[in-house]
Amino acid sequence: MVTALLIIHGILAMFLVGAISHQTLGLFWPKRPGQTGFVSRVRVTNSQGYVNAILVLYCMTFVLGAYIYPTYRVFVRPPLQDLQLTYAIGLFEVKENFAAICLALLPSYWYFWKKMPEYKLSTQAITAILFCTIWYNFIAGHILNNVRGFA
Amino acid sequence: MNKIAARVFPAFAIGFALFYAPGYSFTGNTSTVSWPLFTYFPAIEQWRWLLVTGNDNSGPPMWWYGWIASSVIVGLVFALIALLLPERAIRNILATLVWIVPICAFLFLLNWELPWFVTGWKPIWFN
Repeated sequence: MVTALLIIHGILAMFLVGAISHQTLGLFWPKRPGQTGFVSRVRVTNSQGYVNAILVLYCMTFVLGAYIYPTYRVFVRPPLQDLQLTYAIGLFEVKENFAAICLALLPSYWYFWKKMPEYKLSTQAITAILFCTIWYNFIAGHILNNVRGFA
Repeated sequence: MNKIAARVFPAFAIGFALFYAPGYSFTGNTSTVSWPLFTYFPAIEQWRWLLVTGNDNSGPPMWWYGWIASSVIVGLVFALIALLLPERAIRNILATLVWIVPICAFLFLLNWELPWFVTGWKPIWFN
């Protein structure tokens, strides 16, 4: 059961990474009229269209992660401590903390995108924070999932 | 609605981050302040109020849920205070602090998380 939830957590995170990447690229490096290449298609023109999807995906991924966290604490972290793989524990510590702070940022993220377009710097900064956090958490989660292979 | 949200949402994020970062950093078996609102013991599936340390019978404690709960309360208090202040006066300040404070919180947290990655690292707080 937990393994299935972990896989769903990973799949949702993958969708989230895709959505935030499209949005961030579209925000900082928007597609220009006439550009049709593969890379320019990744740089979407309607970045705002991703806001609700990112909100929902982030919350779903977060809730699932929080639900399976106790399994990590009881069954995964103690062996990591025994193996002295402190970097792996550290990767997870950073992940959980960044995820929590970004969760509290979500209402502001939605608000600045939807209601306060004149505050462009705030919108860009919050989006960049989410982009970095989501990518870090995605990579850290995968390393942690595969850590026995690295050990 | 817009005038309320312009203060409530950023103030909540700021209050949350301002409490969460030291909450994580200063929680430990010898803490004198209970930063988490409650502790969860996953091995025995029990919840206890405030900061409780683990032992051989209870297994490892989880404070993460408790930190989030405490931070939500602090965030709501910040949001309430922001509601009492004039919207025009604080709108620009909140719009800036809403991203500066989380970045500072990340840096503060990284300082406390570096010992996991760098052997012998001591958080700058104590240096």
